[in-house]
Amino acid sequence: MHRSWTRILLVLLLITSVLIAAGKGAMSMAPLQVLAILLAKAGIHLPVAYTQGMANVLWEIRLPRVCLGVLIGSGLAVAGASLQGLFRNPLADPVLIGVSSGASLAAVVVIVLFSSLSSAGAGILSGYYLLNIASFCGACLSSVLVFRLSRVGGKTMVATLLLAGLAMNALCNALTGLVTYTANNEQLRSVTFWLMGSLGGASWNTVLSILPFILVPVGLLPQSAKSLNLYSLGEAEAMHSGIDIRWLKIRILLLTTLAVGAAVAVSGVIGFIGLIVPHIVRTLSGSDHRTLLPDSVLFGATLLVLADLVSRTIIAPAELPIGIITAIIGTPLFILLLYKQKKVINTQAI
Amino acid sequence: MIRIDHITWWTHPPARRLRAVRALVPRGSRFDHAGTGRKILDDISCSILPGELTVLLGPNGAGKSTLLRMVSGEKRPHAGTVFLDERSIHTLPIPQLALRRGVLTQHYSVSLPFTVEEVVTMGRYPHCHTSPSAKDKEIVSACLQEMQVDHLAARPFNTLSGGEQQRVQMARVLAQLGGAGDSDGPPASDKILLLDEPTASMDLLHQQQCLTRARQLAKEGATVVAVLHDLNLAARFADSLLLLKDGQLLAGGRPSELLTPDLIYEAYGIKTSILYPGQYDFPVIIPALPTTISSGDNPARPDNHSISPNDEPVFGKDTSVIINKNNYFHTPINEKIYANDHPKGR
Repeated sequence: MHRSWTRILLVLLLITSVLIAAGKGAMSMAPLQVLAILLAKAGIHLPVAYTQGMANVLWEIRLPRVCLGVLIGSGLAVAGASLQGLFRNPLADPVLIGVSSGASLAAVVVIVLFSSLSSAGAGILSGYYLLNIASFCGACLSSVLVFRLSRVGGKTMVATLLLAGLAMNALCNALTGLVTYTANNEQLRSVTFWLMGSLGGASWNTVLSILPFILVPVGLLPQSAKSLNLYSLGEAEAMHSGIDIRWLKIRILLLTTLAVGAAVAVSGVIGFIGLIVPHIVRTLSGSDHRTLLPDSVLFGATLLVLADLVSRTIIAPAELPIGIITAIIGTPLFILLLYKQKKVINTQAI
Repeated sequence: MIRIDHITWWTHPPARRLRAVRALVPRGSRFDHAGTGRKILDDISCSILPGELTVLLGPNGAGKSTLLRMVSGEKRPHAGTVFLDERSIHTLPIPQLALRRGVLTQHYSVSLPFTVEEVVTMGRYPHCHTSPSAKDKEIVSACLQEMQVDHLAARPFNTLSGGEQQRVQMARVLAQLGGAGDSDGPPASDKILLLDEPTASMDLLHQQQCLTRARQLAKEGATVVAVLHDLNLAARFADSLLLLKDGQLLAGGRPSELLTPDLIYEAYGIKTSILYPGQYDFPVIIPALPTTISSGDNPARPDNHSISPNDEPVFGKDTSVIINKNNYFHTPINEKIYANDHPKGR
């Protein structure tokens, strides 16, 4: 498929899924009504009837949630695509390699340790920023550790990468369990929310709190697209082509952990988005990071919005954690990828 | 001009010390722990001139690839410096260096499913800011044709055979240096092409083609350095040779001066016969069979490492015709292989 057509298709897909997702729920709205309510705010009045109640529900409940889905989906997808470029391996994913669990451990520690602090009058927004910073630090620490561990003689081995991720996940989960064990009732409720992975806590405050942490990576990561293309040739080869390898690694690790940390801070661990989105986009428009990264942003946002739609409508009025939905979609695809890669894993370093 | 100035490389780098402490410890003394482990490169100094195809020769593990890595700026020598136009190569900005210096390494695999054309286009990345211009695309297609891989352009790189991958990578490096007709790029005399065993898995035709292209770049004024294992290719294409052994520079010079049976024996430990076919201006090196290697230790003729009529195989004195073919194929080692291939009862 032609690349610019893929881009247009993905944009249309995102807009449609946002309109549909914003309309579905206890108070059902048609996509056109949603569009009319949104445009009314901008001063354009479409000849579509809607009630004031609909407008309130949309602006106060649905829209923050959909926006959060867009932000987190795009952040996770672009982070996954960049990490796959950096690890020179299409199996890298923020959750699989333990970056997300590092972030969630840090978030849980902060919730338990500082729950008294936030109840003592610190603003909600600053509380979210504190969580963001903590989960960013956790994500940073675990990604640097995994990156170091997975490199054997200057190369990232697939097996070591996945094993390092496994070890990191195990350690972080154990420590998270330890912290949970010491938590009191109220803290436990907040902690459980993190571990499940859900967009249920969406409000304009949460959207605002992660906005900069997602927009910066989404804006800056595609600028490294050319470098990531060259990096797929090999580390020395990229250097010969004029890439400052050290700076590239620092930049990618920093920006991806920023996005993953922010996503984990408000929605918990949502797996497989960072893995399957770049993979699907690659089959659509090729491996070139210059198209892969922006397309992943669009498709990641679409996929998470739709997954969230399923999670809150499938057993309505109850809600299924979104992490379960993405895992159910993602695991078979991951196994398929693993199967394709089997030869590589058995024999060679990438 | 590339000047290699006393460079040394250990398997384990020297301990970091304060400059003041290092200055106090006399060099080479018992307290001068310069580096530990094996010396891969040992105090190598030489100059590599522009306008020449310089070939690095030497047995496995001689340090050829490591030396090439120092020259490319990829690795920093533990002692000594590589100068490029009288400036240390490590002080030059990496992006600026990439505009004039292309390197073909022995690492061909690409981690993501890029097409051949995309891989070769990456050669133009150092020159373009966002996306490749029409000029860049022209250069890419010219380089694809030059290495005869244009028919593979849409194929995924990783599905190619080893030799094809090597040719595509060569096309990428050529594209980086601006291909044949790049008038906007750096002047030819500024260009540097470093090739690490470029012909290792190429077929006969493409070996010749690849090195002819490298030679042509050198004739245009570029500095070209290649690591080769095939002495005949080196004799055919090199303007000058650097012979390495055990991390030391054994000799350097023109192929006609350097490729003598004695020197080859010293470097590789194998007897050779060197022929000068009348119609060509380069020598042909014919190695002895493995059985005659052992007779190289023969104390009777310790300093003559040329194959003589007394050894097998036997060659004519002044022509390139092998006259004793039967002898050539009936050395004991060949009989043994023959016997293993055809076990009794078959």
